[in-house]
Amino acid sequence: MTRRIVRTLSTVLLGLVVTLAVGPGFSRALYAQTLDRSKQPPLGKTPELRVPTWTKSKLANGAELVVSEKHDLPLVSFSITFLGGADQFESADRRGVAGLTGAMMSEGTKTRSGDDLSNALQLLGTNVSVGVGSESGAISFVSTTARFADTLGILADMLKNSTFPPEALERLRAQRLVALEQAKAQPGAIASRVFPRVLYGDAHPLGQSPTEQSYKAITRADVVDFHQRFFKPGRALVTVVGDVTPAAIRPVIERGLAGWTPGGERPTFSFPALPTSRPTTIYLIDKPGSAQSIFAIGLPGPPRTTPDYYALRVMNTILGGMFQSRLNANIREEKGYSYGVSSGFGFGKGPGPFRTGGDIVGDKTDAALVEFMKELRGIVGARPITEEELRTAKESLVQSLPGTFASVSAINGAISGLWLQSLPDDYYQRFTKSVTAITAGDVVGVAKKYLDLEHLAIVIVGDRKAIEESLRGTKIAPIAYLDIEGSPAQ
Amino acid sequence: MKRLAAAVLLVASGMPLAAQSTINIPFETITLPNGLTVVLSTDHTTPTVAVNIWYHVGSKNELPGRTGFAHLFEHVMFTGSGHIGYGVHDRLTEGAGGMNNGSTSNDITTYYESVPANYLESMLWIESDRMGFLLDALDLAKLNAQRDIVKNERRQRIDNQPYGRVFEILSKATYPAEHPYSWPVIGSMEDLSAASEEDVKNFFRLYYAPNNAFLSIVGDFDPVQVKAWVTKYFGDIPRGSPIKRPDAGPVTLSSAQRLVYEDRVQVPRLYMLWPAVGDKNDDRFALAVLGAILSGPRTARLTKALVYDEQAAASVSAGHNTNEDVGEFIVTITPRPGHTLTDLETAADAVIDRLKREGPTLEEVQKATAGEELSFVRGLESNLGKAFQLVNGAAIHGDAGYFRTEYQKTLAVTPADVQRVANKYLTRGRIVLSVVPPGQTGQASKPAESTKVQ
Repeated sequence: MTRRIVRTLSTVLLGLVVTLAVGPGFSRALYAQTLDRSKQPPLGKTPELRVPTWTKSKLANGAELVVSEKHDLPLVSFSITFLGGADQFESADRRGVAGLTGAMMSEGTKTRSGDDLSNALQLLGTNVSVGVGSESGAISFVSTTARFADTLGILADMLKNSTFPPEALERLRAQRLVALEQAKAQPGAIASRVFPRVLYGDAHPLGQSPTEQSYKAITRADVVDFHQRFFKPGRALVTVVGDVTPAAIRPVIERGLAGWTPGGERPTFSFPALPTSRPTTIYLIDKPGSAQSIFAIGLPGPPRTTPDYYALRVMNTILGGMFQSRLNANIREEKGYSYGVSSGFGFGKGPGPFRTGGDIVGDKTDAALVEFMKELRGIVGARPITEEELRTAKESLVQSLPGTFASVSAINGAISGLWLQSLPDDYYQRFTKSVTAITAGDVVGVAKKYLDLEHLAIVIVGDRKAIEESLRGTKIAPIAYLDIEGSPAQ
Repeated sequence: MKRLAAAVLLVASGMPLAAQSTINIPFETITLPNGLTVVLSTDHTTPTVAVNIWYHVGSKNELPGRTGFAHLFEHVMFTGSGHIGYGVHDRLTEGAGGMNNGSTSNDITTYYESVPANYLESMLWIESDRMGFLLDALDLAKLNAQRDIVKNERRQRIDNQPYGRVFEILSKATYPAEHPYSWPVIGSMEDLSAASEEDVKNFFRLYYAPNNAFLSIVGDFDPVQVKAWVTKYFGDIPRGSPIKRPDAGPVTLSSAQRLVYEDRVQVPRLYMLWPAVGDKNDDRFALAVLGAILSGPRTARLTKALVYDEQAAASVSAGHNTNEDVGEFIVTITPRPGHTLTDLETAADAVIDRLKREGPTLEEVQKATAGEELSFVRGLESNLGKAFQLVNGAAIHGDAGYFRTEYQKTLAVTPADVQRVANKYLTRGRIVLSVVPPGQTGQASKPAESTKVQ
């Protein structure tokens, strides 16, 4: 006879503690003999997908407004998302000005110093973040419902009245230069910098990144100019998600953003032509003494608007999107060459890259490259897609949707993301159907179409002395040598 | 970790003040006859569920010569168990749009899943099978494969990262060789090679017993149904032998120890470590506030002085890291070109000395804790985050509702508390470690007084 105590803390507010005696239902003998552990339990009914709803309208300054209600917690996620980013608004010799401008917006306004802004936000218990990515930017915060209007007031001040003090620019510039210097010691950072440069070249925005030279060239006038051109309501979406109603919040937003000058065109997102693709080449970057070789293998891919999007998602999930995907199952789990390898597409407005790779133990650099190539040949047809692979990949994609809506900031991101990519409002409702329709034939078809194994860039950052000879021995591709910036080396 | 992932952050805050009814996680705790503690909390916001199980074993339970074993063992837990083949776990988690992972610290080893609500029973099936029947499926080949992967994890996280070895150097310097916090969780390559199949079996039998385990389940489920499942799957796993916990009390250093380490870095960096307190010592609340007053926002004292006013540092961080039995207060400073680590150490000491002398203002303490409410409520949005908080309380503090205490004690910190802990812990007895580029030991802080470490 077993008895145990169950403590129920049903409400902490009342400090209510209920003590229950539980009968033999928990006894171990009752179940020990009847349980067949070899059978997976039945799954039960798949939960129905609950997609948030939202209302759309336009603010007086021309920005679009989306409000989505979620009242279970006293939280609000607010953002202003801007269409276009560093790749559209930075010139090649001023790469980095977008990030600097974002940081400068915390450095003071006409009525508040940088310290004043910081103190006010600390006392509100939140933080306003400004970020500009390659093709979009956002200024945003999450607050409690009670602190929403006050926090919005600070955000609006930063947006409209920033003063961009020159000494702050010098400090931020110096910090970024130190970070660039530190990145030179980090093999992963080197690979991430060189890989796009190899794929797109210096003349293409996707091939560029901030450099010591560009940071040094940026002036205060560049920052002021970027701010004036970029943070405009005419290309902005204001998204409010959480414990609000559209009717009540709209006047708060109008009031908060009053005085933000209208204007701003939506960028066209035209990209220069890609450089002529080169035959598959190994680009070796020497990092003497490296315990591992960092791999980045790939080529330019399609934009998010491609009709092949869903087939590509399923294909990549099978190849390298999950832990048990082909690449990781083989190179990590079976061979033990790495702590993890993966693959993915950089879907966006332009020809974002397909990239696969990982960190490989130095003395298996050649063997791992052989396996990467084997799996790439496999997915383009040499190894047929099994029914189970196809089913698991599709299920994985479809069932990850509820996680997309798990928090106010996640819902905000999901809604703003649709707007950025010009996707329809019922995108999430249609997602399941679009994924489910993909066949094994579609998967192989897009693999063949987009994974051109004759024109891959294979970037490897590692200890050249230790890996060069064995890499050449694989006869997979000729070797070219680059320095840590991606310029030709001896 | 089984794999690199965005770490699930423990929400570093707790619970409701009487006036704030939203600061609450309703939960229920049950204990099975075999000693398994189970914490349940329902949340029907999204049709998903998180499962988190903690085994009260970590690197501090290892024996010298077998460092890294608790973490290697964590990897073995993903290789299949008596009734469930390798790969099923991944298929039923990531294959259903969810995730699974594990993590090992000095104190505990944790396994967790986040899945669609209808996969909950399957998760209990998997977790109970590996708790009860792991050894039925174990073989040397599986151990060897995971050993190679863990060695790669060490290379990727430690050996091939600039500044990657810093924390193992600091631990070794802070604690005596026999102290269980003196060795790193990831272990040494040599010890990883030495781990045997027999080690795995003994470790499993002692530490992976239900009386050493804490399970939390948070999300969209029916608690009556789930209690029946918990009994069904875990009830027949036998209780294990009593466990002798290692002697791992806090340490003090009588004087400053100055070290210099040559690493493949471009920029030198200064680390200062003071031994402080573990999870069960309430001084940690004031130490956490002290960290927030010293670094973080631009008005924080070290940040303001070194990064903004003097512009001698590119970045500064200060904070208290706690483990179950010990903690360390660590300050990290990255210089700007033209500024030496010696100068930065002096400047940082001046800031800290002044704080010790005068104490912080009330507003500084208020600013440091004003974000607690928001961070707690945001933590409520994550089933996994809540599962971690509840199981952490149950395993370390014997009370799944410890988040309340934590919240209240954090908000109760006063300027006098901060001044007291600053004086008590930020003393002369500390480690000062300079990390410098190869061949540049002259860039260390006070190089002549610093000892080279490997």
